[in-house]
Amino acid sequence: MGEALAQLSEHAPQGNPLAGGTNLVVEMRVGRHQGKSMVDLGRLKELRGIQAQNGHIVIGGGTTVSELLKHPLIADHAVPLCQSAAVFANPLIRNRATVAGNLVDASPAADLAPPLLALGAEVELVSREHTRWVSLDEFMVGVRKTLIQPDELMRSIRWSKPPKRSAGAFYKVGLRKADAISVLSAAVMVACDTSGRCKLARIALGALAPRPLRAYEAEDVLQGQPLQAEGIAEAARLAAEAARPISDIRGTAEYRKRVTEVIVRRLLVQASEALEHP
Amino acid sequence: MDKSQFNTLGKVTPRKDGVARVTGQETYTVDTILPRMLHGRTVCSPFAHARIKSIDTRLAEAMGAVVLTFQDIPRRRYNERIITVEWALHKDHYVLADKVRRMGEAVAAVAAETEELAEKAARAVVVEYEPLPVVLDPIEAMQPGAEPLYDTVVYGDQEIQIEKNIACAREVNEGDVDKAFAETDVFVEGTFDVHKIYHAQMEPKSVVCRPEPDGGITVWATTQSIHNTRIVLGQIFDIPLSKVNVKRMSVGGTFGSSIQMNSVVPIGVALALKARRPVKLTLTREEDMHDHGRFGTHAHLKLGAKKDGTLTGIELELVADIGAHILQGYSFLGVSIGWIVSLYRLPNVRYKGTCVYTNKAPGCAMQGFGNPQATFAMESLMDELAEKLGMDPVELRLKNYVRLGMTFWGQGPMVRSLIRSDGVPDLLEKGKELIGWDRRQPPGLKSGRFRRGIGLGRGFHTSSAGAPQPGDVIDYSGALVKINQDGSVDVVSALVDHGGGTLEGMAKLVAETLCVPLDMVSVVPTDTGNALYDVCTHASRGTYAGGGAAVRVAKQVRQEICETAARYLNVQPEAIEMKVDQELGQAVIYVPSIPDKQMTLKQLASRCWSESWKTIASMDSYRPVACPPAYVTVFLEVEVDTWTGAVRTLHAALGADCGTVVNPDGAVGQLEGGLSRGMGMALYEDIDWDERGQLRSKGYLVDAKTPGIMESPHLEGLSIHFADTNEPTGPHGAKGMGEAALNPVPAAYANAIYNAIGIRFYQLPITSEKLLAALVERETMLKERLR
Repeated sequence: MGEALAQLSEHAPQGNPLAGGTNLVVEMRVGRHQGKSMVDLGRLKELRGIQAQNGHIVIGGGTTVSELLKHPLIADHAVPLCQSAAVFANPLIRNRATVAGNLVDASPAADLAPPLLALGAEVELVSREHTRWVSLDEFMVGVRKTLIQPDELMRSIRWSKPPKRSAGAFYKVGLRKADAISVLSAAVMVACDTSGRCKLARIALGALAPRPLRAYEAEDVLQGQPLQAEGIAEAARLAAEAARPISDIRGTAEYRKRVTEVIVRRLLVQASEALEHP
Repeated sequence: MDKSQFNTLGKVTPRKDGVARVTGQETYTVDTILPRMLHGRTVCSPFAHARIKSIDTRLAEAMGAVVLTFQDIPRRRYNERIITVEWALHKDHYVLADKVRRMGEAVAAVAAETEELAEKAARAVVVEYEPLPVVLDPIEAMQPGAEPLYDTVVYGDQEIQIEKNIACAREVNEGDVDKAFAETDVFVEGTFDVHKIYHAQMEPKSVVCRPEPDGGITVWATTQSIHNTRIVLGQIFDIPLSKVNVKRMSVGGTFGSSIQMNSVVPIGVALALKARRPVKLTLTREEDMHDHGRFGTHAHLKLGAKKDGTLTGIELELVADIGAHILQGYSFLGVSIGWIVSLYRLPNVRYKGTCVYTNKAPGCAMQGFGNPQATFAMESLMDELAEKLGMDPVELRLKNYVRLGMTFWGQGPMVRSLIRSDGVPDLLEKGKELIGWDRRQPPGLKSGRFRRGIGLGRGFHTSSAGAPQPGDVIDYSGALVKINQDGSVDVVSALVDHGGGTLEGMAKLVAETLCVPLDMVSVVPTDTGNALYDVCTHASRGTYAGGGAAVRVAKQVRQEICETAARYLNVQPEAIEMKVDQELGQAVIYVPSIPDKQMTLKQLASRCWSESWKTIASMDSYRPVACPPAYVTVFLEVEVDTWTGAVRTLHAALGADCGTVVNPDGAVGQLEGGLSRGMGMALYEDIDWDERGQLRSKGYLVDAKTPGIMESPHLEGLSIHFADTNEPTGPHGAKGMGEAALNPVPAAYANAIYNAIGIRFYQLPITSEKLLAALVERETMLKERLR
């Protein structure tokens, strides 16, 4: 680990960490990243692993998507993340692609970002000199832009264990059901108090803006209210309003916005049903 | 024919190459490694249409690479596929581009010691281009002032002018359409669009070429026809065919993408000849996606019928987008009308078809060769007609379909033969029952978010392009069958198994004919040097025509077995019969009335051997005298989510009449695969180009959207049945299968979606997005009307 950070620091800004390589190698083949030095993190054990620590779930940045799928802590404390990992690319890619890689790549369609946003995750950035924690929401700046500095690595990702009466869900709309890049995706996380009022709501959207984003206004209408059809419909409408999609090969902006509303509503209904029938 | 008497046909047997394929031990072209072999790379154009002003190879050569440019290649235009007769053949291709006509076209090539060095050298070749306006739309391409792709091409042996980017045109007129239409009660018409679709075959195209000391070449190539590859290479490089040896390789699927000599093959050969060392050249996936695609079609059809549902005639105008090069445009125009008139009796036909050049991937046959496009249009119109007439769609089809005893010319106006087997009524009846046709409701009665619809598409594909007389398409096969010393059998055939289990079928047909256990029959590795000519494994002809050749020759061998055994057993040859003894693992030759007059095939063959007599063997060519239609009907039940536009396949009832079912697992696999590819064509696959002529997917397979297992209906929603028919002209009663499995699927989807929501689509694919937009548009219209 120390060596990797030293290498990055030495080669900055021309050093580039390489983990699974599922994005970088493809890009290198078409001539991007010329003149850069790749620092291979593939065999760093310190970057792997999933643990429960002080009320948090902490996962190493180099954890692969396949590992997320196998781990009971993820299944128990990060339902949307688990659902997202299950439809992430294809099994070959899942075996190599890492969580940090997906976040640092900062594609608007990064499939792990919406569930981690919904979980309220933070990321740990380390360099030879310092360590800092940044919320994932702040970390992602724009298309392929993040707060990470050339000498930094994303060492780990963490989130608070969701409270007792909570539920979450994720859904991805692809042009087909497997091995597809998202047309759009959404994740929700809600928690209620004993009276059934919503005390926490997070709604996150993918491939609907230059970066994966939270639909704060949609979340606000749910706060303090019982999770019922009307509020859910309003939240879904606001979430679609928060989306700022573009038209591209996978869909038009208009289609994306329209389907966002359907999906967010569906996820909130699912989550509220899960709360009622745990 | 009593099919219950079959020993091998119709039985489920493990595939001979199955273990090798699923354990990664099969060797494909790309696995071929030769001593002193160099690695090749092409220099691909970043423009879709450009003149090449200069090519500077010095940097690449300084790296130690051998560099090939237009200066090095033979100045001879060719067509990559010579299966049409000379007068129907257009030639517009050079080994390397004289002018760039599509994105990624090879303008130069390099060979070097390693793949890495070859890649670096290819990037170091400096090409100066003069970009030209890019022509993408075939209709615009024909307008005055559109940028021409070609000045001239070679047709037969003459140079002809190309005007308005029209590569070729064809008209067919039968009967009197004007008179028929004057007496017609009901018309339906529509303009149907189908985009080019990428084959998405698993194996990217590859070639290895070794120059031989005698001036010849040995070629390992991804291809569906080793003989076509040999003939074209011989013509380009002016080498006698006896010195051009093309090996038959295992192929990782094609869907038709290797029916021609692939574009990489002559480049690899030219590199090897220049380097005087073996060279391997393989396309990347991105390059492959620019290399070939289905023919895009834009078709206007007008169909007439009497009140009682009898069809009166058809008018059809077709524009085919052939892309940057012509492979088989003229045949394509012929079959496009052939498919339609062979689906339904249409005594009066007025047809005009035009092939147009555009700066896109060259059109190459893909599962169905124009048939899925034609069937999509025709079957959509048949449903519209049924609705107008108030007739049941199944009844309308039964009334009009081209059936037993009628003339069939699916392969075009020059390839006509009689229909001798017909399982259509059976398929329609059974399909109705399996899907629950009687519960089908009109769309107007449906409401709510999720709406279900039931739809039907029926179709066929020809088995081969055989006919009583020669046509414009070459079609014949050959085979060699010999008995080994232990009673096992070698079959030599130029047929290629490109995924459908063709060679497996051939082994079964020979085993059946010779009463030999399947395990004792091998279709052995071969090349053009020792296999008789076979046109190509295409047109669903592998089992019917290739298998037909093998059965013809196996029957000759059986005759020789009887005559030879007759001498040893001291009986008349006509008294001898054969049966299989699975316990002995041998064919047994016996005389029914005399129990001690019998011997195994091994005893016979080893005696012929130890007595220095002979090998029992035969070799012959075979031209099928018909190209019988294999019929497939597809009944679907779909569910449309009117909130998202998503379409889910709930039930599929697939029925096939392929004559004798040679390989049940394989036949089921073909139907399931046909459903999947047809679903892709109907709902997902939309290969599209941007204004620069670049694929919008940029060549990434993830956005080519072929459906996967997740899109398939659940197993309990899938039912498959076969009609019990016997094709008298086929080997042991068999017909083709592969392409028929796909042809009616897109139509069945369009009809099922119409039945669900009452909206008809004339353009494929019917993506969720298009479907939702159509629903929204209808909603808005209804609201405005209410206002």
